[in-house]
Amino acid sequence: MRVIIGYGNSLRGEDAFGLDVIKELQRLSLKDTKLISAHQLTPEMTLELLDANEIIFIDTCYDEKNNYSLACSLAQQNSLNLGHHIAPKTIIQMLNTLYDNHPDFFIYSMMSSSFDEIMDLNKYRECVDVVSKHLKCS
Amino acid sequence: MKKITIDPVTRIEGHAKITIDLDCDGKVEDAKLHVTQYRGFEKFCEGRMYTEMPALTARTCGICPVSHVIASTKAIDEILSITPPQAGINIRKIINLAQLLQSHTLNFFHLSSPDFVYGFDAPKEDRNIFKMMQTHPQMAKDGINLRAFGQKIIEELAGKRIHPTGIVAGGVEHKMELSQKENILSQIPDMLKIAQGALEFFKTNLHKFQKEIASFASFPSIFMALTNDEGMLEHYDGYLRFIDSEGNILKDKIDPQDYKDYIGEAVEDESYLKSPYYKPLGYEKGMYRVGALARLNIASKCGTPLADEELKNFKALNNAKPVLNSFYYHYARLIEMIYAIEKIEELLNDDETMSEDVKTTAKISKSRGVGCSEAPRGTLFHDYEVTKDGVITAVNLIIATGNNNLAMNAGVKQTAQMFVNGNNITDGALNRVEAVIRCFDPCLSCSTHALGIVSSKIEVRDHNKNIIKVIDRN
Repeated sequence: MRVIIGYGNSLRGEDAFGLDVIKELQRLSLKDTKLISAHQLTPEMTLELLDANEIIFIDTCYDEKNNYSLACSLAQQNSLNLGHHIAPKTIIQMLNTLYDNHPDFFIYSMMSSSFDEIMDLNKYRECVDVVSKHLKCS
Repeated sequence: MKKITIDPVTRIEGHAKITIDLDCDGKVEDAKLHVTQYRGFEKFCEGRMYTEMPALTARTCGICPVSHVIASTKAIDEILSITPPQAGINIRKIINLAQLLQSHTLNFFHLSSPDFVYGFDAPKEDRNIFKMMQTHPQMAKDGINLRAFGQKIIEELAGKRIHPTGIVAGGVEHKMELSQKENILSQIPDMLKIAQGALEFFKTNLHKFQKEIASFASFPSIFMALTNDEGMLEHYDGYLRFIDSEGNILKDKIDPQDYKDYIGEAVEDESYLKSPYYKPLGYEKGMYRVGALARLNIASKCGTPLADEELKNFKALNNAKPVLNSFYYHYARLIEMIYAIEKIEELLNDDETMSEDVKTTAKISKSRGVGCSEAPRGTLFHDYEVTKDGVITAVNLIIATGNNNLAMNAGVKQTAQMFVNGNNITDGALNRVEAVIRCFDPCLSCSTHALGIVSSKIEVRDHNKNIIKVIDRN
């Protein structure tokens, strides 16, 4: 099963990118795919991923110079500065180490420097569409 | 004089830094916690409709939004002069306890356990959840399972795990379904086993931390918490009680609506965190502590069998007088985890909980309402003033973590003076200065009401206030 997790804060402008991609995907009735919308990634989320053979994380990544460019990389560090939410790689490491579960995983990030409002709605929607269509076809 | 800066303070929620000032001989002269976030909820809520307050103030935090929703809806209940039906109250209580459980679980299993397992002097590369997963996988899994239990209850009964919408003015939005009750009850035995196991692990290892117990914010202070009519542990409602470090009751049966008569709020230049104090003793003598340690010091009993057995052991730590060592916040949280699971079971088995009558409605009848409850980190106040049309004109929030500000600062200074030597600054010493803050499990995002990401450090300053060492966790 494929699990797609879109996460972010819907009240913080373009941080809602992952959530909006999930909304778009919900209309497509993708086969053998579980969709998760989340405010942030938390440790117990691993329990919802035990059946996944592929996990896709969708989020917004802070970047001042490349607004609305898309990247598929682990841009976030696997930070040791753990607080009350965690990074994608930490979730994957939990699955690997604690549950001997080794899914493939990818990250789709939209670069943005605007966490107050959506600066360019057309470009934002274009990013949502590109990622949604790519995930539908992949 | 030299100055050390720890920035950011790690394994806490939010962003902070610690500065340590050294004298000419390299001894610690002063140390302070600076909270470097500013949020401003109290101001931007002005002009909004009172009905929006639970949803708005829940956004204060992603870890304890339930606390804010509970305090907020209680403030609105007061403005509307309504009491929710018993089923509505019971379901609110279950959700509140589920949040307390998942929050305490995160602090113990994922944030603090590396210190208990590897020790405060272990290499910093090892003091984290990743190492825990390798060496203590079952403990890491237990933490995940217990947290999932709490979060799932919140999701089931309140709509969402984070920023839930099911708790509303007058009660809750949905009745409890039988399938929900049975599903939660079926998990209680396993969850109790995990919580009891964690407490046993902690007690077994306590002997390793005698120096930390003696020096992590270990001093006399006032304590404040809610209690019920019989002076027992209470997280949802009840009266405010203040006790001194000998256990004498300073003031009891305070209606939370009158909190301003007893709590003053000071502001310091170097931090966005307010410094509340017990008004009769003035600032800063009126320093008090809240949270799990305060609640167990103040409560005569928990009211559930297993937690009450553990409370006896806890109270024996200081011969039935209040436990003054903040290291024991961890101990108190573990007992509260057991209590929360037992109490959830008790509330689920109360016939009233299954009633279909879960919400009362009414119109505005007062211009001011105060909502007060016990959040995981301590007593939380939401105080709203409204026009007759329901527009918010004033908001005052005293956040659980903020109540502990003076005590956290005193603790940072005490621990720095005990462990930091300006002539040989070790990572273990600085970790202890951070760890004293983790005892309080502060939620700084909540307590400052953050705009963007602000880095948080330990700075060591010399006697001329020049920074000579900075530990930046980023």
